[in-house]
Amino acid sequence: MRLLNRVRSWWRGIFQRSLVQNEMEAELQFHVEARTEELVQSGVPRAEALRRARLEFGGMEGAKEECLEARGASCLDNLMQDLRYGARTMMRAPGFTTMAVLALALGIGANTAIFSVVNAVLLRPLPYDQPDKLVQLWHVPPQAAFPGIAEFPVSPANFLDWRSQTQSFEGMSAYGRGSYTLTGNGEPETFRMIAVTDGMFSILHARPLLGRGFVSGEDEPGHEQEVVLSYGVWRRRFAGNPDIVGKNITLNARAFTVIGVMGPDFEFPISTDPSLQAQMWKPLAWSDQDRAVRDNHNYAVVARLKPGVAVKQAQNELDGISNRLAQEYPSENRGWGAIAVPLRDDLVGDVRPALLILLGAVVLVLLIACANVANLVLVKALTRRKEQAVRVALGATRRRLLQQALAETLLLAFAGGALGLVFAHYGVILIVKFLAQRLPRSSEISLDGWVLAFTAGISLLAGFAAGLAPAFRAAKTDVYEALKQGLGRATSDSGGSRTRDLLVVSEVALSLMLLIGAGLLIRSLWMLHQVNPGFEAAQVVTMEVAVPIGKFTEPAQQIGYFNRVLDRIRTLPGVQAAGLIDSLPLTDNGSMQPIAVEGRPPVAMADMPEVDVRLISPGYLGAMHLPLLEGRGVDDSDVAGRPGAVLISESMAKLFWPNEGAIGKRLTLYFFPDQPRVVVGIVGDVKLYAVNETQRKATLYFPMAQFTAPRGEAFQSFGMNLAVRTGAAPVNMASTVGLAIHEVDPGIPVQNVHTMDEMISESLSPQRFTMLLLGAFAGLALLLAVVGIYSVTSYSVSRRTNEMGIRVALGASRTDVLMLVIRHGMMLALIGSVIGIAGALLLSRVMRSQLFGVQPTDPATFVAGACGLMIVVLAASYIPARRAMRVDPMVALRYE
Amino acid sequence: MSKQLDLLQGTLDMLILKATSLGPLHGYGILLRIGQISKDRLEIQQGSLYPALYRLEHQGWITSGWGESENKRRAKYYRLTAAGKRRLQAETEKWNRMTDVIAGILETRPEEV
Repeated sequence: MRLLNRVRSWWRGIFQRSLVQNEMEAELQFHVEARTEELVQSGVPRAEALRRARLEFGGMEGAKEECLEARGASCLDNLMQDLRYGARTMMRAPGFTTMAVLALALGIGANTAIFSVVNAVLLRPLPYDQPDKLVQLWHVPPQAAFPGIAEFPVSPANFLDWRSQTQSFEGMSAYGRGSYTLTGNGEPETFRMIAVTDGMFSILHARPLLGRGFVSGEDEPGHEQEVVLSYGVWRRRFAGNPDIVGKNITLNARAFTVIGVMGPDFEFPISTDPSLQAQMWKPLAWSDQDRAVRDNHNYAVVARLKPGVAVKQAQNELDGISNRLAQEYPSENRGWGAIAVPLRDDLVGDVRPALLILLGAVVLVLLIACANVANLVLVKALTRRKEQAVRVALGATRRRLLQQALAETLLLAFAGGALGLVFAHYGVILIVKFLAQRLPRSSEISLDGWVLAFTAGISLLAGFAAGLAPAFRAAKTDVYEALKQGLGRATSDSGGSRTRDLLVVSEVALSLMLLIGAGLLIRSLWMLHQVNPGFEAAQVVTMEVAVPIGKFTEPAQQIGYFNRVLDRIRTLPGVQAAGLIDSLPLTDNGSMQPIAVEGRPPVAMADMPEVDVRLISPGYLGAMHLPLLEGRGVDDSDVAGRPGAVLISESMAKLFWPNEGAIGKRLTLYFFPDQPRVVVGIVGDVKLYAVNETQRKATLYFPMAQFTAPRGEAFQSFGMNLAVRTGAAPVNMASTVGLAIHEVDPGIPVQNVHTMDEMISESLSPQRFTMLLLGAFAGLALLLAVVGIYSVTSYSVSRRTNEMGIRVALGASRTDVLMLVIRHGMMLALIGSVIGIAGALLLSRVMRSQLFGVQPTDPATFVAGACGLMIVVLAASYIPARRAMRVDPMVALRYE
Repeated sequence: MSKQLDLLQGTLDMLILKATSLGPLHGYGILLRIGQISKDRLEIQQGSLYPALYRLEHQGWITSGWGESENKRRAKYYRLTAAGKRRLQAETEKWNRMTDVIAGILETRPEEV
């Protein structure tokens, strides 16, 4: 009840102000009249009675004010008043307002843009029910054979053991990727298919929009001709026909029954590149033979923790099981561990450091913007000292002055925030455009409610941050001094100038941190561009010849097909060389396999050394200009039935035969044990997975024509990547080559057409983007800092005009005056730089993971950053200093 | 005229509650009523009366409404609410306890310590 009463009285106080005031007026009026009446009746003349009544009552206005205050509405009331007053002052100084709002808008906009990315990518829960219970399970391979590889796919037998022996999980499902070509319904089209063991949909707690998911037992062979469609495919290829469930469609020339359609929001696995989202799901049906495979690691595993089970508990259990499995199957499992990674970490672990660094950077930018605005407000406040003093003299409390100064900066901050949202809107569009293929969930980046709340929050903080220093200065107004000094042309405001100096120093320090951070990234990117990938990318176009699974049943058929393709392409005009490889360099794909070197003691599979194995055709070395260092390349004589031949990389030769020639040595591939293979050539090292990989990858190439079914498995046809070196611009050749491939077999799709230059550039795009953003923020910071330093220097020069005049009049040379001003600016810059370098040392340590070929303490970058900043500060203080130099002593003195 | 006492801090509220407990009054009436009960021994700053009224109304101890005064003028009348009545009671008890204690202390003679 009482609360209601108060709210009502507040409400009346705020919104029915005039009503309340009128009532109050009438009430007080009544009081005075009643008293007058009484006095008149006791014989006092009316005029005298009225005078006495008023006198007795005391200050009428003060009483009214106190009454309003007693209603509890005065606080808000004052705020409204302050805001109105602030708005008027802002209108009266459009230059100042524009500068301040722009600075804040840039700072807040940058923060909002980066936060909206962080929000979508790092903060927003994954689009599943209770997503924090979902984990990704991986093998941890033995580090001796797999140096630097922390996570590795899982083998079927180990997965099945994990699934049956663990207690921590509600469910566990393995999945693999493939592509399936739809025919018999318009244009043939290849779709990205995820084959899943049963329980996948129930683990994700995902319900299909139509039909059903896979039920238990459907991952048995015989049930695998079933498919669940993604919403997008269903709408696009099947016109959203609800009767599709139960119908048959033709995939890879076999009939599949559509059993369900997922909703529009369902995505699994979540792909970093939205253009690579899964489009269909089918059961992963392992035969008994497949289920027994323990040594071939090809599957990803997702699992859901039971309620109340922590990741750590599950990890302990997995560790125990892995130890047991290693003892039980030492030859396959010795040294192989398991790791449970929360699904979100698995997805965003790579981008998190870069995003956090960018978030840190924009916070610094905002701090600089705040310092800038604080400076501007301070300078402006000094010119208003007399006004402040008058207000204090008239009885304004310090609290009230403080509150008013704050109200002004808050108003600026919110105007800045509103404009910042506009900047952020375009910033986000830009970020999504550049990062769409590298950032998981980039399609979800938007300015949603959380982002708006964030923007409002930082606007508030920025308003306070920018307003506190000026507000306290305002509250400290010394009435006597200020009034005595007239309109504030005095030189004695040492307190104010110290605050301004402090702000300049922090601006310098903060922008130097950003400059050095950006400098380190620029150096890293430059170093990355200098990296020799091991091949010549120019003039090479690549494309995937996506032979569907099941297209060929024998290796010989597939080999024959690819040979016909190569023959056809080599006849095309403009083609200089053409070759095939199963996984192109600088892609995430590629196979690592154990090998046994002849003449060394035989060991169990788990103890064998692992090397990267690639399948190539003749012509591949020529197409990529991969240097042949010794021996010969793969040629047309390396076919089935002939002695097995392999090429090895230089690093592999050094690793395995450090002190002798590798040519002629024999080895056996564990998965293709049909014959020992002879090293016939040594080729240069290639960056296999990424330009910034530091470990040289021991690599073995073996001829496509000598491929057989891998150990313990049936042959399944697979696609290869074609690399063509052209005389003309490679892009122009792509369609000609594509058509030629179609001529050989129209049923085999050609996809992922890229020039090799694009692949390199693409593989550097995350680094480039981080660098660009950080560079942009550093530039912004520098700009803000320069504006800040310039305005402070100009201001202090203008305040010291008469001092300069006196100096000149007393015989100081113009250079002395110039130096006087510049020395002060440089002093501040120097102090700021020292602090900035210390800050940059901290920042760069955090950035270590983002750097390549550059030490986090790289002296060149630090010195260059500091010197660059000094020069800019010099320029910013030189212009006002010249003005000081030109002061005419007569004019300056007359000002007094 | 006997000498007037300055009002003790915080007692004005209590006096207003007491005055309105005897029936609805306008602001000036409250002043008169207190003067009447106290036989003009208390000096109340007229200017401080209204802020106190507004504060008590804001807290819900009293409530106000417009009515007609003795001489047919529109005046704002204050009435004690139920909450105000309880408040007055509590304040009165507290006050009595307090004066007992203080009086006890002040009347103490040296030999009693």
